[in-house]
Parts: sequence; structure tokens; C-alpha cells
Amino acid sequence: MEAIAFYLFAVLTTVMFLITVLTNHALYALSALAAGMIFISAFFFLLGADFLGAIQIIVYTGAVMALYAFGMMFFDTTRDVVESRTSPQIIFGLSGLAALTVVAMFTAPIISENITALYPAIDGVGNSQMVGMVLFTKFLIPFEVAAVMLLVAMIAGIVLAGKKMDHSLTLMKEEEIERETNEKAQV
Amino acid sequence: MMSLKEFENRNVSEGAYYKVDIPDYPETGWEKAKQVFSRAIKGELFVGLYIVMREMIKFDIHTVQYPKEKLPIGPRYRAVHEMQRLWESGTERCIGCGLCEKICISDCIRMDTKIDEQSRKQVTEYTINLGRCIFCGYCAEVCPELAIVHGGRYENTSEQRAHYIGYEDMLTPFDMAVKGQVAEYPGFGAITPHEDERVKSTPLAY
Amino acid sequence: MEVAYIIETLIKIVVILLVFSALAGFGTYFERKILAFMQRRLGPMHVGPFGLLQIAADGIKLFTKEDIVPTNAVGPIFKIAPVITAATAFMAAAAIPFLPQFTIFGYTVHPIVADVNIGILYILGVMAVGFYGPLLGSLASSNKFALISAARAASVFISYEVVTGLSLLAPLMMVGSFSLIDFNNYQAGGIGDWIIWSQPVAFVLFWIAAFAETGRTPFHLVANDHEIIDGFGTEYSGMRWGLFFIGEYANMFFISFVIVLLFLGGFGDGSVLGALGFLLKMSFFFFFFLWTRAAWPDIRPDQLMWLCWKVLMPLAVINVVVTGFVMMF
Repeated sequence: MEAIAFYLFAVLTTVMFLITVLTNHALYALSALAAGMIFISAFFFLLGADFLGAIQIIVYTGAVMALYAFGMMFFDTTRDVVESRTSPQIIFGLSGLAALTVVAMFTAPIISENITALYPAIDGVGNSQMVGMVLFTKFLIPFEVAAVMLLVAMIAGIVLAGKKMDHSLTLMKEEEIERETNEKAQV
Repeated sequence: MMSLKEFENRNVSEGAYYKVDIPDYPETGWEKAKQVFSRAIKGELFVGLYIVMREMIKFDIHTVQYPKEKLPIGPRYRAVHEMQRLWESGTERCIGCGLCEKICISDCIRMDTKIDEQSRKQVTEYTINLGRCIFCGYCAEVCPELAIVHGGRYENTSEQRAHYIGYEDMLTPFDMAVKGQVAEYPGFGAITPHEDERVKSTPLAY
Repeated sequence: MEVAYIIETLIKIVVILLVFSALAGFGTYFERKILAFMQRRLGPMHVGPFGLLQIAADGIKLFTKEDIVPTNAVGPIFKIAPVITAATAFMAAAAIPFLPQFTIFGYTVHPIVADVNIGILYILGVMAVGFYGPLLGSLASSNKFALISAARAASVFISYEVVTGLSLLAPLMMVGSFSLIDFNNYQAGGIGDWIIWSQPVAFVLFWIAAFAETGRTPFHLVANDHEIIDGFGTEYSGMRWGLFFIGEYANMFFISFVIVLLFLGGFGDGSVLGALGFLLKMSFFFFFFLWTRAAWPDIRPDQLMWLCWKVLMPLAVINVVVTGFVMMF
């Protein structure tokens, strides 16, 4: 039963990400990316990590939704995107190599025999409680650092976006706009 | 009350417009905060909720379920034409003068007449093309005999675009006329009520 | 045992699908009737007694209408979008206990498909995926109004989702579990134990976010008829459009269940009275969705974002902090 589900979702996820990479169509790529991200959560559910599975769904629906917003702004999502590739062989080779290296890095410990979980699952304790305990004891500092980094990113975003927030052409008088354009022209 | 003088004033900009009392848009942050606060405290949203709930509980429904119920139409409404008969005798009122055919601005009335055995004019053919008729009421107005009038039948459907209505369809049935069941036409072109009182004797003495 | 469990789950899934598909139909009927009464009209009257068979007439109409996929639309995505809306709405229902457990023919039935220990997270996540339906449908239909609808869907989504999560955090801290059954048991002591009394701010915030989640009237920006025709539904016809509708109404029912379970005591101690009260409370929230549609105007997308980011989110954060302090000391 679990094996069937695993292989089903493995195939689905791989196909979805393949579509994401191979298609020229922005809408297909984004939708396949979203679907793949949601299918990944199935593996978490299969492994009994319900909390992480739900978080995977929630986080990546929001994240890909933001990507959709960018896609909407930059592309006609119903048409193929025309790309100019200078040397597709090099890109393919390098990215393939990088992906292989990552896979090798993460799968290497499987060959070793004496691999044990640092924080084995405890019976009778809920999934989310376990995540919470590990997060707030062992990994408290990385967790907080990540939070601070996100805060910095958010403030930076606000500063970048909010530079000209009070600057509204509709509220300005005709002469003011003219003066501004003249100044710009002189510069 | 409206009088003719008010209509004669074509300068509509004078006194026709009035300013609605809308406060200025808030500009500073403090003014905006005050607006949000006052709107939140006033509970305008809940006023809206209360009003629709009150209407639902009162259940004062204004729907007219049309095919089952019909609103009364005004006496001067101009719907499909009818041909009247004289009371008691039941003779057709139409004398075949042809005025309605002449005045019809959309050219939809067509009639044919002949002199019958009693050497009276008789209508042999009379049709109104309801597909063209604009129901202006001129025919009823011009008719000297109050023979063609506008009835109350306003539901017209037809399989043909050019649906003619014949003389027989419009003519009041004979038995109804004899029994006095013909409702005198009160509408367009008819004599207004209490006309008798206003009739003055013809000044014959020159 | 294993086989019996699978059969039981399958039966539950089929029952929920049937009941809520039918309820979605009745939901449209109730909506039309209640809106009509609030506007001094009668609503549907001609098909069947009091227009009750209007649902069947609409169903037949939707099923037999021609299914049009516009020439310039992106076919596969255009076709799958309504399915996403409807499917995710029903998937979210898997973690909702619709009634207290009861015994029938000596067999105890738990009216919940899967009592996962992350119930509320799962429901919110899957309902969030439901927003992909309108988004994909509108992006794929190559229509200007639909494109505006897509932009609005994205902006609505990133605004309300934060408020939902943060407003739920405070009650979650109190209960200490994601399971809706645990939420219910926490409040089983009676009216005094309801979370609404200790978390009124979270309740109001979650309720407001529920309107954005289901796309109902104050936040009905995604398919605002008087501005952008039907938004994502402009190019849809027949049953594909009907699936969007079923998804929307099923979502309304499910979110009403969730609000009651989270804040208003759910089914209480599980007695028959408690179950009846549960359904009554749920109906009130469903009715409120229709009530606001008759009473309130729609707001602009920028106003919704302003409301969510500048008013509701700070409130939710303050609420979480205050709850934390109260629980600590």
C-alpha cells in the first residue's frame, strides 16, 4: 500500500518538475511547479510527518502564488515565452552536474550502515510537538537567526518599495510635474 | 406644483443643481485615523445588517407574479386595437371613411370598401400590421365614430414577424354588443367624462 | 478490521460528497431566497412548490449546456481549474468532524473521515490550494476581465492567509493541539468554556478572514459582477462553471463548521442536543454569509490589502503576544 503510494507520487512529482523545467509556457511551468510542491507533501504524510506535510502545502501555495503574480506581470501567460539560449549544452551539462552532486551528497549516508536518527520519534507524542521541541531546544539559534534574516529581508523590501510611496502624480499640480520632468531632463 | 413657467425656463444650471453634503477627504494621517474611528464606532455596517433583516422579517413583498397576477393598466393605455359596435343594434360603427388609413404614420392600416346593396359604404377588408404599428393612437384619435379604439390586450406573441390582425379579430362579437356588454372606450380620442355638462347649445341664432 | 475500516471510510467519503454537493445546490436556493426576501422580492417561485425544484432545473441546465473552451485559452489548465476548486473544498472536509460520534446498529461511527492530529492546519492548507482554481482558470482563459480577476486572487490570497494563520495562533496556544476534536473537547464544558469568550479578537479576525477565504461579499473581489463580469468565470460555461460554484458553496459550509468548532464550542459534550446546537450554530454562520451579501457593499482590492496588512495583522500579532503573556503568568 505504502509502496504503491510512494511510487505513484514519485512519478507524479518527477513528471511535474520535468514539465516545469522543459516547457516554454509560463503558465504550464508555474502550475506544474505548484502541483509538484503539493505532491511532495504526500511523502511527508507517508513518512508520518503530518505537520511538515501541511506546512509544505501552506508555504508553497503562498510562495508559488507570488510567483504567479510575477508571471502575470512579466509574461502573457497564455503564450509560449521566446527564450534566447546561447549555449544550451553547457547550461544542461552544468545544471545536471550540480543536481547530481546534490543528490549524491544527500544520498551518500544511506550506503553507510551505522546511521541513526539524532532525534528518534517518540511514541505518544504528537508530530507537531516533536517538531516544536527540537526546534526550540537543539535548533533554537538557527531558528532565531532565520527569523531575524526574514525580518531584515522584510524591512529591506519595505524600504525599497516605500521610497516613493508619498509621491503621487495624481495629487501633484501641473506645474510641479512639469518642474520635475525638467529637472530630470537636465540631469 | 409645476406650472408652465417652470418649463419655459431653459437655463437649467440655475437652481437645478444642489450640493450634496459630503465632507472633504481626509489628508493627514490623524484625520484618516479619526475617520476610521468614527466609522467603526458608528457601526454603519450593523445599520445595514439591521435594515435588511427588518425588511426580511416584515416580509412586505412587492413582487408581482406576472402571469398569475397582472397590474391594472391605465384607461388611456394604447394596446392592441378593437373595433366597436353600436350599442343595442349591434351595427358596426366603422363607416369606412378611411381616415385612420390616411393618418397612420407607420402605414400599417389597410382597408378596402365597397358600396353594398343598401347603397351604404361597407368595409370589405381591414387589417392592421401589428409588426409595424407603433401604437401612437392617431387612428383612434382621428376616428369620427369612435369605431377603432385601443383595447387592453398588451401581451402579443406571434410566430410571424409580420403579424396581421384582421377586421374580424378586432370586431366586438355581435351578441355581446346586443346585450350591452360593450365597454365604451374611455381612452385615447374618446369623449372625456362629464362632457355632457360642458356641451353648449349651438348658437343658431345669427 | 482493515477492510472494515476502508469500507467505513469510503462510505463516509461518499456520504460527505453527496450531502455537500446537494447542500451546495440548496445553498444557492437559500441564497436566492434570502437575498430576495431582504430586498422585498420573492425569489424563485415557478419551478416546483416555492421554487424548490429550481435547484434541479439549474442542475439539468448546467449539465446539458455546451462546454466551451475558448480558442485562445490554455486548454489543459482551463479544464483542470474548476476541478481544483471543487476537489480541494471536499478534501478539506476530511478533517472536519460534522457530528459527534454516535452508535448505529451497535457500530460506533465517527463522522470524520480522518482525525489527523494537524486537522486545522490541513484544512487551511487545502482551502488555500483551492484559491488556485480561480487563479488558474482566469490565467488560462485569456480574457482581460479574467486577468484582472487573477491579479486580485493573488493579492487577496497573500493578504488574508496571514490573518487566518496569526488569528488562529492564539487559540491554538490555549488548546495545544491542531485537531478539531481536541478543540471541541476543550470547550465541552458548556457555553462558559467557549473560546470566543477568551479570544474574542481572534474570533472576529478569523471570521473576517473567512469572508476573504470564501470570497463572499465584502471581499467578493475575485468575481465581482459589477466590475469584472464574473472574473475567473467569464469564459466558463456549463458544468465547469458549476464546479466553481459547488466549490464556493461547499467552502462556505465547511468554513462555517470550522468557525463553530474553533470558537463556539462545536458539538459540546456530544449529546443529541449538542449536535443540534452544532448544526444551528453552523447555519447561523452560513446565513450570515448571505446576510452580508444583502447588506454590505464590496470593497476595493487595495482596501482589502490595507485592511489585512495594516489593521488585522497587527491586531492578530498583538493578540498572540497578549495571549502568550497571559498564559505565561
